[in-house]
Amino acid sequence: MKKSRYNFWAIFWASLGMLYFFVPLYGTLDFSLRMQKGTLSLLAYQTVLADPQFLESFSYSVIMGLITVLISLLIFLPTTYWIYLKLPQAKPLVEIITILPFIIPVIVYVFGLIRTFSRPPLQLTLTPFKTDILITAGYVILSMPFMYRAIDVGMRSIDVRTLTEASQSLGANWVQALVTVIIPNLRIAILSGALICFATVIGELILGDFLVRPALGPYMVQVGRDKAYEPAALGIMSFALTWICLGIMQLVSHGGTSQQITGR
Amino acid sequence: MSFLTLSHINKSFNDMPAVEDFNLNAEQGEFVSFLGPSGCGKTTTLRMIAGFELPTSGKISIAGQDLTTVPPNKRNIGMVFQSYALFPNMNVAENIGYGLRIAGKPKLEIAQRVQEMLSLIHLENFSTRYPYQLSGGQQQRVALVRALAIHPQVLLLDEPLSALDAKIRVELRQEIRRIQQQLGITTIYVTHDQEEALSLSDRVVVMSQGRMEQVGTPAEIYTYPETEFVAKFVGQINLLPVDIINPPEGLVKIGKQSVRTSRAVQHADGHALRLAIRPEELNLGHVEGANNLTGKVDAITYLGSIVRIRIDVEGQLLSMDLFNERKLQTPKIGDPFEINFDADACWLL
Repeated sequence: MKKSRYNFWAIFWASLGMLYFFVPLYGTLDFSLRMQKGTLSLLAYQTVLADPQFLESFSYSVIMGLITVLISLLIFLPTTYWIYLKLPQAKPLVEIITILPFIIPVIVYVFGLIRTFSRPPLQLTLTPFKTDILITAGYVILSMPFMYRAIDVGMRSIDVRTLTEASQSLGANWVQALVTVIIPNLRIAILSGALICFATVIGELILGDFLVRPALGPYMVQVGRDKAYEPAALGIMSFALTWICLGIMQLVSHGGTSQQITGR
Repeated sequence: MSFLTLSHINKSFNDMPAVEDFNLNAEQGEFVSFLGPSGCGKTTTLRMIAGFELPTSGKISIAGQDLTTVPPNKRNIGMVFQSYALFPNMNVAENIGYGLRIAGKPKLEIAQRVQEMLSLIHLENFSTRYPYQLSGGQQQRVALVRALAIHPQVLLLDEPLSALDAKIRVELRQEIRRIQQQLGITTIYVTHDQEEALSLSDRVVVMSQGRMEQVGTPAEIYTYPETEFVAKFVGQINLLPVDIINPPEGLVKIGKQSVRTSRAVQHADGHALRLAIRPEELNLGHVEGANNLTGKVDAITYLGSIVRIRIDVEGQLLSMDLFNERKLQTPKIGDPFEINFDADACWLL
């Protein structure tokens, strides 16, 4: 009796949560399909996809996202590994540093970037290429909490030190140990970090807007100001993209559970 | 000249000494165990041999070559870890062949060596299994041959059996010894389990608080412990405060009862001496010419094959071990009890 009462409330609150999430989503989807009067159609989506500005901003953000993922991995993977191996006492400090992007408002951060890098000695706002370097660095910082945490969680699940030492005792240097033993055992964590990092860049608005680059975030805001149905279509498309990313993560991590990590 | 030499090794962490003046000469093919309680410095010493820790001072050499500051991947030393440390992303064959792949050996040679190693541990049919598909004992066997596959100069084992259950531990330690003797590889084995150390080793180094307490064969360590720590740590021991009666004749007193030791009393320079005797050296009853003590039964403990009887001799408690034979008639608590032992069986500490 007690159990069924418990189940009722559990289902009730879960349903309420689902309604809270899905009703606006459904509303947006429904609205995005009503561009053509009196009938449901994909016209808003066709309009968005036919807009050259959309393609430009989308491809720009995708490229920036991929570059950001690559640079983040190159920076945070060896750094986190090194902290686990040689500087475990520095972990609390690193944890604090990695959550700074959550604490400092992005707008403050962008103004800091513009003020610092739009004047000598390091002027990075003069050409689109240099600005792209600046914006990528900004994206790396913004996605740092996600990437670091994903790698950190992965490293916690294996005994990094012992696996490295086992590898070294068999003749590997630390780079070989990282590449042949540690990274393959972190593939789920790396993929999770990479996808969240990618999603962050795709949806980022302020950096792209203030550094005047053709990113997807500013484009979506602009479309939202000028048009009615297309922003709804864009919103649904962004959701779909995010869900595809989450689906891939789920798929890979589900595949990973059949090979439990037993290094510890 | 010895094969593995550790000379005056010291290691401190933040000015706290972990290992102090450690010296060891191990011969080629010798099996040496480091035995001691947690925190005694045995694993730190092993890690210094492996190259994972640098000694604060001292020298480590193998076959005459100074390896003190050589990085671990250049030492050609195989190591087996307590937690197995098999690479979860690789199957058994890949794990065993890892060191050879890193060394850039040809594929054919790697495959042959892997097969050779698998047959050594009788796991020929397990080559494609992943570590999570193996039992603890199988994982540790694979870890052992993975370390041996690279033809190491020295094999280091860091409490390799601690994570296994008792039965597997006994089986595997016999297997380790068999493989070690078959390959004739110099081996250093770290353990806190005295039974493991005594049953496996050619020599045992007993350590306490970063220092070497005693080095010797298992028989020497057990039968002739040089310090109170070794006497207490290895096996069971009775330590009874005594009064000295006649130092040259080795005559002492426990309460009012006199005991003769085989050696003259030396070093009685002010500090209280204690009579040391193993529980299994004590015998039932009175024997003329032997040391005889009378007391009362204080406690009886069944330990399976052994029955341990605790006797109160004039306020001093000592334990005696008897084989648990069917015909054994155990006394009752409070019964008067007489025991005897040879002068050779006891010594003063």
